Amino acid sequence: MLQVQNIEKYYGSRNNVTRALDRVSFDVADGEFLVIMGASGSGKTTLLNCISTIDTVSAGKILMDGVNIADLSEDALAKFRRERLGFVFQDFNLLDTLTVEENIGLALALNHTDAKTVQERVREAAGKLGIADILSKFPYQISGGQKQRTACARAMVAGQSLLLADEPTGALDSKASKNLLEIMSAMNRDMKATILMVTHDAYSASYADRVLFLKDGRVFNELLRGDRGRAVFYHEILDVLAALGGDVSDVF
Amino acid sequence: MCWLRWEVMSVTYFKLSLRNARRQARDYLIYFVTMVMASALIYVFNGLAFSNEVRQLAQGLDSLPLVIVFASIVVVCIFGWLVSYSTRFMLTRRSRELGLYILCGITNNQVAQLFFLENLAAGVVSLFFGVALGGLLYQALRAVVMSLFGLPYRFALTLSVPSVLLTALYLSAIYLYALQKNRKLIRRMKIYDLIYYEKQNEDAVIQTGKGRRKLFLISIVSGVIGTCLLMTGGTAAGLIGAECIIFFLFGFFLSFASGVPAFFDRHPFRKYQGQNLLVFRTLTAKLATMGIAMAVISLIFTATLLTEGSGFMINGLTRSRAADNACFDLYLSAEGEKKDFTPYLVYIAENIPVEQSLLYRIFLSGSTQVMDYICEHTAHDNYEYDSDPVLRFSDYAMLRTMAGYPAVEPEPGKYLIHCKSFLEEPLRSYDGTLSLNGISLTAGSIHTEHLSQGFYDMTNGRDYILVIPDETADGLEIHHTAYAAKTAEPVTEAQLAVLSDMSDQDYDEETDPLGYVFVDTRANEENMAAMQILLLVFPLFYIALALTMTAAAILTIQQLSETDRYRRQFVLLRKLGMDQRDMARALRNQFAVYYTMPAVPAVLISVPFILKLCYQPEPGVMVGISSPAAVTAISLGVFFLIYGIYILLAYTSLKRNVLPKRFRK
Repeated sequence: MLQVQNIEKYYGSRNNVTRALDRVSFDVADGEFLVIMGASGSGKTTLLNCISTIDTVSAGKILMDGVNIADLSEDALAKFRRERLGFVFQDFNLLDTLTVEENIGLALALNHTDAKTVQERVREAAGKLGIADILSKFPYQISGGQKQRTACARAMVAGQSLLLADEPTGALDSKASKNLLEIMSAMNRDMKATILMVTHDAYSASYADRVLFLKDGRVFNELLRGDRGRAVFYHEILDVLAALGGDVSDVF
Repeated sequence: MCWLRWEVMSVTYFKLSLRNARRQARDYLIYFVTMVMASALIYVFNGLAFSNEVRQLAQGLDSLPLVIVFASIVVVCIFGWLVSYSTRFMLTRRSRELGLYILCGITNNQVAQLFFLENLAAGVVSLFFGVALGGLLYQALRAVVMSLFGLPYRFALTLSVPSVLLTALYLSAIYLYALQKNRKLIRRMKIYDLIYYEKQNEDAVIQTGKGRRKLFLISIVSGVIGTCLLMTGGTAAGLIGAECIIFFLFGFFLSFASGVPAFFDRHPFRKYQGQNLLVFRTLTAKLATMGIAMAVISLIFTATLLTEGSGFMINGLTRSRAADNACFDLYLSAEGEKKDFTPYLVYIAENIPVEQSLLYRIFLSGSTQVMDYICEHTAHDNYEYDSDPVLRFSDYAMLRTMAGYPAVEPEPGKYLIHCKSFLEEPLRSYDGTLSLNGISLTAGSIHTEHLSQGFYDMTNGRDYILVIPDETADGLEIHHTAYAAKTAEPVTEAQLAVLSDMSDQDYDEETDPLGYVFVDTRANEENMAAMQILLLVFPLFYIALALTMTAAAILTIQQLSETDRYRRQFVLLRKLGMDQRDMARALRNQFAVYYTMPAVPAVLISVPFILKLCYQPEPGVMVGISSPAAVTAISLGVFFLIYGIYILLAYTSLKRNVLPKRFRK
C-alpha cells in the first residue's frame, strides 16, 4: 500500500543544515499495524508529516498504491488527504466549537457527502467506538479517552484506508490508553484498517504487527511480532530501546 | 523565585511593563490605531473650539466651544467604553499570564500596577501620535471650515496648547477610569480566578436551554413588530417600537447561540451543507460570550446611522434653504405698497456699492387656481397668500439678470411659472387659463432657478410665482413691495446690522401698521448656513465617527483575538483534506456573517428613520443631493466606508495569519 523509498529531509540554511531524515526506506502492507519508535528528535514526526503530505521530502519518494505523492497537485493532495488518510493526534485536535457528532461528521462534510449519509455513518462509527451516547456533547464536556475515540471515529468514518497516529496515547492515562489501543487493534483486525503509528511508548508499540526504530533520522532496527504474545513482544521492544539508548555499535 | 531571577536579570516593573505594552501593541494593533485616531479626533475638534480664527468667522460662533465641549463629553463616554471594554478583554486574554506572575511570588498589587503601567504607557503613546496626526487633520478641517465661509485657506501648521491639554485631560479620564476598574479587579482576584479566568467564558459557550430558544423566537417577533410600529409613525407607537427594537437586539444576540443549534436540530441535514457547519458554529461560539456586546454594538451602529443621517439631513436642509434665499446680494421687502423705503435706499446709496437694483411689487392675481392645483396634486398645502402671487415680466427679467440667470423671452398671451424644482413636474400638466383685467393668458414655460421663494411670504412668492405681461398687472392688489440689489462687494455683517436696526426702530406694531421691513443678504444667508453646519453638523459627525470607530474596533479586536484558534482550526482542516478554495471561502463566509449581523438590524431600523426625517422639512428643499434617498444612501455609504476599512484590515490580517502558508493566494 505504502512504499517509502530512500527519503531524506533537511532543514535550515546552507550553512546550518539539519538532517531530519536520512535515506529512510520501508513498505507498509495493506491491513498492517506498523509502529515507528524513536527518541525525541529521531525524526519520527517528520516522517509522519512527510507521509501525511503535510510536509515535503528533500529527496526520495513516497508511493501510495504506486503513485508518487510528490507528483500530485495541491488540489489532488487535499483530495488524497480527505479520502485516503485518517489522523489521530496526541492533543486530539478536535474543534472545540463543534459537537462530537459534528467533529466526526466534518471528515464527511469535507468530502461533500450528502447530509443524510453523514448522520448515518457518524452514528455507525460512533457505535463501533462506544461513543454513541456522547454525540451531542462538546469536546470540553468529555474525557481525554472519549476525545481520542472521537478522533479515531473521524479518522475512519470517511472510509480512509490509512490511519496515521501521532503519539495517540500521549495525553491519556493508562486505562484510557489501553482502551484506545484495543480499539485501534480492533479497527486493524476487524475493519482491516492500515495503521501507521508514531510513539515512544513501548506498551503502545506492543500492539503493532511490526515496529521500526528510528535514530538520528535513520532506520536503526526493525522488530516483527509474528506469532509471539504481546507481553513477549513488549519486552523485546524494551530491549531494543535499551540498546537504542546506548551506542549503535552496542546492538550490532 | 521568579521575581528574584528577574531582579538578577535587572528586569524592573517598568521594563516589564514596556515590554508587555510593545507586545500588546502588536497583538491589538487595530485597537491602538483606533485610540491614536480617537486622540487625533478629540484634538482636532477641540482645536476648532479653541481657534480664534474660527470664532471670528461669525458672531454666532461664540457658542462653538460649548457645543464642542458637550459633544466631546459624549465622545469621551463612547471612547471610555471602548477602552474599558478592551482593557477588560485584554485582562481576560492575559489572565493566565498574570496569574503565573502571582504564582511566582509577585503580589496582586504589583501585578495590578504592572497592568496599569503598561496600559497607561499605551495611552501616552496614543496621545503623542494622536496629537501629531491631529495637527495634520486639523489643517484639513480648517480648510473645510474656510471653504464653508467662502474664505481662502492658507496652510499653517500650528499646535494648539489648550487643545493638547484638554485632549490629555479627556484621555487621562478615559484611561484612569478603565484601568482603575481593572486594578481593583486584579487586586481582588485569587490565583485560581486568574489562571482559569478564560474557562469562565468556555463554560458559557453553549446555552441550549429552552428559555433561550423561546427568547430567540420572541425577539424575532418583537423585531418585526417594532419595525412595523416605527414605520407607522406616531410618538407613542414610535416609542413602543423603539423599545421592541431594543428588546429584539438584546434578545436576538443573547439567544442566537442557542437558536441556531435549535434550528439545526430541526433541520439536521442543512448543517452539513456547504460551509454551514464551520461558519455557524464559529459564530455561535463567539456570540455565546459576546451576546450583550454584540447587541450594544448593533445599537451603536443604529445610533451612528441616525446621527449621520441627521447630520446629512441638516446639512442638505441648511444648504438648500441658503441656496434658495441667497439669490440677491441685498433684499428688502415690506407688506403692501405704502412702506417708505427712502431711508434704507439712502443708506445703501451712501454705504454699499450697488451695481444693479430693482424696486418692484408682488401682486395677487385674485384667483387661487394654481394654488388649488398644487394643493391637489402635491402633499403641500400650507400657503398663506390669499391668491396666486404674480410678478410683472419686466421685473422678472431684471431679477434674472441680477441673479445671473440667462434671459427669458416674453411669451405673448401667456403667463410663465417660476417655481421650485419639486413643483416643475406636477405643474407641467397644468393648463389653466388666467384672466386678468379682461385678458386671458394661457400657461407658458416653467422655470426653476432659485429666486428667493423661501419660507417667508414676503419673498418672490412661496414655492411659485406667476409671471405676467406688464400691462395685465395694472390694478391688481399689491401683496408686498421688494427691493433687490446686486452689489460690487458682499454686504458686510455691520452693514446688515445697520439696516436691521433701522428696520427694528422703524417698526412699531401700533403706530406703524405698514409693517416690518424684512432685510436679508446673500452673505448673511451663506454665513448662517455655514454657522449652522459648524454648530450642528460637525458635532454630529464627530460623535458618529467616534461611535463607528468604537463599535468596529471592538468587533475587530474580538475577531483578531481568535487568530490562534482559527490558525489551529485551519491547520487541522488542511490535514483533514479541506481544499484551498473551501478554506478561503469558509473564512470569508465566517467574516461576512460576523460583520453583517450587527449591521443588519441597524440598517433596518435607521433607514426608515432617516427617510422619515428627510420628509419632515417643507417640500422643495430636500431635493437632488439632499433628497431623502440620497441622504440615506450617503449616510449608509459613509458608515460602510469606515466600517469597511476595519473589516478589510481585519480580514487581511486574519487571512495572512490564519490560512496555512501554502494555501495563501
